[in-house]
Parts: sequence; C-alpha cells; structure tokens
Amino acid sequence: MNRNNNELLIFISIIFLPACIIASPDWLNINGISPCWPVIWLLPFSLKNRPLRAALVAILLGIFVDSFTIGDVSYIPSLLTLSLIWSQYGLHNKKIELFLSIGLMAIFGTAFVCVSIWVQKIILYDFLRNNWFHSWSLYVLISKVIVTGLVAPFFSSWLLLSYKKN
Amino acid sequence: MIQTRRKIGFELLLKRRFWVIFLFGAILFGIRWTKGAGYLDFYSVLLKPILPGTAQSEWIKAGEDFDKNLRLKLLEEDNIRLRKALSLNQLNNEQRISAAVISRSSKSWWHQLEINKGAKDRVLKGNTVIGPGGLIGLVDSTTPLTSRVRLLTDPGHQVGAWIERTKRHGILTGMGTNRPKLIFLNKDSLAKVGDAVTTSPASSLLPPNLTIGVVQVVNEKALPSPYAIVQLTASPEAIDWVQVLKNNE
Repeated sequence: MNRNNNELLIFISIIFLPACIIASPDWLNINGISPCWPVIWLLPFSLKNRPLRAALVAILLGIFVDSFTIGDVSYIPSLLTLSLIWSQYGLHNKKIELFLSIGLMAIFGTAFVCVSIWVQKIILYDFLRNNWFHSWSLYVLISKVIVTGLVAPFFSSWLLLSYKKN
Repeated sequence: MIQTRRKIGFELLLKRRFWVIFLFGAILFGIRWTKGAGYLDFYSVLLKPILPGTAQSEWIKAGEDFDKNLRLKLLEEDNIRLRKALSLNQLNNEQRISAAVISRSSKSWWHQLEINKGAKDRVLKGNTVIGPGGLIGLVDSTTPLTSRVRLLTDPGHQVGAWIERTKRHGILTGMGTNRPKLIFLNKDSLAKVGDAVTTSPASSLLPPNLTIGVVQVVNEKALPSPYAIVQLTASPEAIDWVQVLKNNE
C-alpha cells in the first residue's frame, strides 16, 4: 500500500502538476485562467510536514514555478509565508481532512499569492501605480481564486490523504 | 382670265408627303437635340459582341498586377538601399522562422507564449515575433528547442511605436488587458480613433513599419502625457503559428 501511495505521489508531483502548469489544459480553466497549482500542491505537503521542511520545499517549488514565467516577479515570498502558516496550523490541528476546509485554505492561499504578485508588479512598474485597482488584476485574482477553490478540494484532499497513509 | 389662288388650308394635313417631310424633320431635330444619343447607343449595342471580353479584361488586370508587383519590388529594393545608407534597421523577409505555439498564457499574471523553436534554430532573445495581423511580442528567453515570447499585452512590456499619419512617437505599454496603452511623447498627440499604429521606421530595436493595431480611444487631456488605447490587429489568443523575425546579424 505504501509503495502504491509513493508511486502516486511521485507521479502527481513530478509529472502531473508540472504538466498542468505548462500545458494549462482548457478544461481546467475559467476564462483562460488556470488554477494556482503551486498552492494545490504545497497545501497538503505543508499541513503534513514541519515548518522548516515545508519552507524549504516552498522555496524550491517557487524556483520551479518561477522558471515557467517571465521572470519579473516571484512566487517565492508568498509560497514561503503560506508554507510556514500552514505547517504551523497542521502541527496544532492534526485532523484536517474536511473537504471544505481544504478548499477554504486553498482559496485564502491563492488570494494571498495573487495579492503578492499584484503588489510586486505595482512596486516594479511605475504606470501601475497611477491606478491601483486595475480591471485586469481583479479579474485574474477573482478567477484564480474561484477556479482554485473548485479544484483544490479534489487534488489537495487526495494528496493529503496519500501523505497521511505514508 | 382670272386665275383663282390655290387653296391653302387644312387640306395639306391630309397629304402623305407632308407627313413624310414632318417626320423626317422631327427625327433630325431629335437627333440634334439629343446630340446623337440614339445613334451612339445603337452603335455600342452593335459593337458589344466584339468589345474586349472577360478574357481580355483578365489580361489587362494581370498586366496591371505584374506592373504593381514590379514597382513594389523596385520600391522595396530602393527602401533597403536607402536604409542601408542611413544605417537603419531593416525588415528582411528571408530571415523568418515559422514556429508553432506549444503553450499559451494570455490572460494570467504573465502574458506569454511558448513556441517550438529555440536557440538551435538561431532564435535569440529580443527577436521580434509576428502573427497573422502584425506584431505580437518579443522573445524573452530561449532554450535549445523552445522560446518564450512576451506578448505586447503583458503588464509592463514596453515597445516603441508611432502613428504614421501624425508622425508622433509613443511607448506602447502592456496593461494586462487585451488593449495596450500607447503613451505619447508629445503633449499634443493629434491621434484620432481609427489611426493605424506601427513600429517606427527609425527604430533600432524593432523591424520598421510592422502593423501593431488600431487606435480605439484617445485621451488628449491625460497627465503627464496623452495616451491612446490600441486594439491589436493580431490576437495572441487565436494564433497557433507565429513567425520569428531574426535581427540583422
């Protein structure tokens, strides 16, 4: 059983999630916006592991995800913060298997990641400071939160259960 | 002997000869009045079967096309020669690389495309990428087999552009939406809705005279400088094949 879970985790972590990040399949998109895959992957891992390990993985995951984007702003600060918060939460709440609570945490996590990218963009580009609430940023943020909230309960719960069985 | 005068009266109307002369006169008057229109129309109807037909009109059209193509070629050669003399950037049709879009993110935080040609095909960072309709972006980075294209709509992406009609330059800035903003360098842009936006013929970074889009909205009162919202003519969301224009080496 353990071996099967390991294989599943390796498959999802190494093949499926990177493939989703790169290919961004249309059937998993809302208005052209894909789910926040790093959050979906990091959430169960952080809940199940200690802060130091979760933070290390968050940094590595951030480096990995940043390599698929135009390198102006980074995922690393937000993922690092989330990994620390979630791992602390996981240490104090051992029984987090509720479908909806996972979804809710993913929603807040995605919103945090999006706000972090938004703020970094505002700091980086002068012209975005003229008007802080751009239709584009709000559109991306809301769409990403909704689609991640729909997808995360399935993938993240599944991953969390697999981690626990290991 | 007294000869009685012939009676001149309505009897004349009864004579056939009178009517023949009258009709003849009326026809002559009609011809003069209409300046021979009837004759000309009749003549054109007669000539119709032997006028230059469809085949002949096609020959004439083919001749005209050939003439236009020849003139275009001569003008392009002339343009290249003059650009060389002025040391300006050139649009070289022979140095184009066709590539397929393998991944697309045109609405998220980053607006980018991944294409299936990279350093192995001599694609370099900064190369111009065009699609059906005009310019879509620039190559941001390359791997041996792929390249990442930063779209014009990407927030913060800036390229030089101008409006040919007014000869006013501006900076086309991606805003994250489908329509980038052309921020003018002059206080008075003179731009109008419908103006074509192209790359500057004096640009040293981009090939000259590439179509970018059409002005949709103009805000002359904006501070610190007026701007226009530009609708791109090439839509990255619908493009599956692009062409990478190699810079002159």
